Amino acid sequence: MMPRWLPRSLRGRMLLVSSIATLVALAIAGAVIAGLLGRFVIEGLDRRLDAEVALLASTVDTDGRVDRARLAQRIGGFEVGRGWRWRIEGPDGAIGSNDFPRPAAGPPAPPAPPGAERPAPPLAGPQPWDGEADDGERLHARQLVIETRRGSVTLTAAAPRGVVRRPIVEALTPLLLALAGLGALLTIALLVQLRVALRPVRRLHDEVAAIRAGQLARVDEDQPDELRPLAAELNALAADNEAALATARGSAANLAHALKTPVAALALDLAGQSGPASQVARIDRTIRHHLARARTAAINRRSATPLLPAASDLADAIRRLHDGVAIAVAVPQGLAVAIDPQDLDELLGNLVDNAARHAAGRVSVSARGEGRMVHIEVADDGPGIPAADRARMTQPGTRLDQRGDGHGFGLSIVAELAALYGGALTLGEAPEGGLLVTLMLPAA
Amino acid sequence: MRILLVEDDRDLGPRIARALRDEHFAVDVATNGVDAQHLGETEQYDAAVLDLGLPDIDGIGVLKAWRAAGRELPVLVLTARDGWSDKVAGFKAGADDYVLKPFRVEELVMRLRALVRRAAGHGQPRLECGPLSFDAQTGAFELDGLALKLTAFEWRVLSQLMLRRNTVIERLDLLERVYEGDADVDSNSLEVIVGRLRKKIGATMIETVRGRGYRLACGG
Repeated sequence: MMPRWLPRSLRGRMLLVSSIATLVALAIAGAVIAGLLGRFVIEGLDRRLDAEVALLASTVDTDGRVDRARLAQRIGGFEVGRGWRWRIEGPDGAIGSNDFPRPAAGPPAPPAPPGAERPAPPLAGPQPWDGEADDGERLHARQLVIETRRGSVTLTAAAPRGVVRRPIVEALTPLLLALAGLGALLTIALLVQLRVALRPVRRLHDEVAAIRAGQLARVDEDQPDELRPLAAELNALAADNEAALATARGSAANLAHALKTPVAALALDLAGQSGPASQVARIDRTIRHHLARARTAAINRRSATPLLPAASDLADAIRRLHDGVAIAVAVPQGLAVAIDPQDLDELLGNLVDNAARHAAGRVSVSARGEGRMVHIEVADDGPGIPAADRARMTQPGTRLDQRGDGHGFGLSIVAELAALYGGALTLGEAPEGGLLVTLMLPAA
Repeated sequence: MRILLVEDDRDLGPRIARALRDEHFAVDVATNGVDAQHLGETEQYDAAVLDLGLPDIDGIGVLKAWRAAGRELPVLVLTARDGWSDKVAGFKAGADDYVLKPFRVEELVMRLRALVRRAAGHGQPRLECGPLSFDAQTGAFELDGLALKLTAFEWRVLSQLMLRRNTVIERLDLLERVYEGDADVDSNSLEVIVGRLRKKIGATMIETVRGRGYRLACGG
């Protein structure tokens, strides 16, 4: 039983599972790349702020006094925009930007990606510091505390947090596009892979269909590892099936012998009594009909049976059965039909026997290839069949010939058997005036 | 005419034998392939009726063994196997005719007579010998255009002489084709039968060839 939530096709399932995996992988990759990008940007900013802090430090002397002239000369590039601030806080009080944020713990800097832990900067260097300006703007700052003879001096350089976000946002658009492209590429690769991987399954399906159609005896066992056991099982199944068909045929033949001999004994006892004798004849016809049906149920379209030997052997046999009838066989050497040898014997035997029974003295059997079919013509020089009756002759159960001696079944069983093989039977008038039967059978 | 009937069915075999004897044939019955093969190879028969589905050796095997041993007797296969492949196999094994069960006795007898006639080298069913004529199809004899009434033994002897008219038939050969295998054969019985026949068709037609056998002389 298949879980309901899974797609019904293997292709769908594989597509579903690997799409989810691809999406998750792309999301993780996106997050990691965005994080790394943020860290690079912050590191760049930190370097700039550290340089500013270093400049500020260079204006403080060993007594903690700020050299204002030097400071004024050096801080020219500090306040380049809103949020860019600086501050020196020492024993002489604080100087710096007016709206410097209150010292408050801001959000921490983006975490370093796992595995990329760097040793913490020595306490001597500038430390990160995040805070919020009075106008609510979030700031990122670097702070250095230097010790002087008169006490510690705190130097701080800050930048708006926005300068960190902007390059990330700008980089994220091409990043997402690239990831989407990657996703599309992976999906295409997946589809191609599914197609390639599932091709043997489709081929196996085609081969099984060919077996059912009778065009193949067994599937190719040269399969990928996963399919090889299945192919072997399928072949075993096909072999069992064939054995069962053979058994069915054998049982039919056994049934024939088992029933016909007592019927023959009964017929001898009843000879001369027309009523019971006709019942016996009816029993015989019924047995014969159903045995023929049983035989035709076990058709085998895979055969390639040469036509000439079959026709010659049958002609030899039928010459002996019908004394005085000349049977001419004109079949090209090498012509073969896709009919089981026994069924071909039935088809031709019934037709030629029928022709010989009605012939005045001559029967001719000829054949020619016609595209994918073989046309076999059996003609006699007998009285023929009126055009009006011809169609009826090939209907099941019809037998216009009531004086026959019980050999064969006439044309209806031939028509039925030929149709099972994808062939056909047509009746016409022979040049000699008798019946012309054209049997079309698939060529081998 | 002596026939070997090979039929394993206990109901059908005796019925066919009786029907053939009613038509004056001498009939030996074999109910298995081994007996059939042995009888066919050692006894003289004018024809054999052979069932294919035998308990030990298949009928086709029996037929092939006969042919391999050089036995040329005409063989009529009588079987329930109605497939054309079976018929072809039967003829290829050396059968001369093939009749399907169930069958009409008249047809079986007619086909047997035709087989024997053709084996004796006669294309036409009607044989003439002086005032005597024989319809090999119906088995009826006529003398000067009038039906001739014969007993089974008389018919067997005269039909043999007729089929091989103008040639000497060895006495032993004639005996073998007149009596069934298990019959008590009185050494004088053949002479008795020939004597009765001479009374019916005239004393001169059947010649005794001293030390050899008999000859049906048709004259000029």
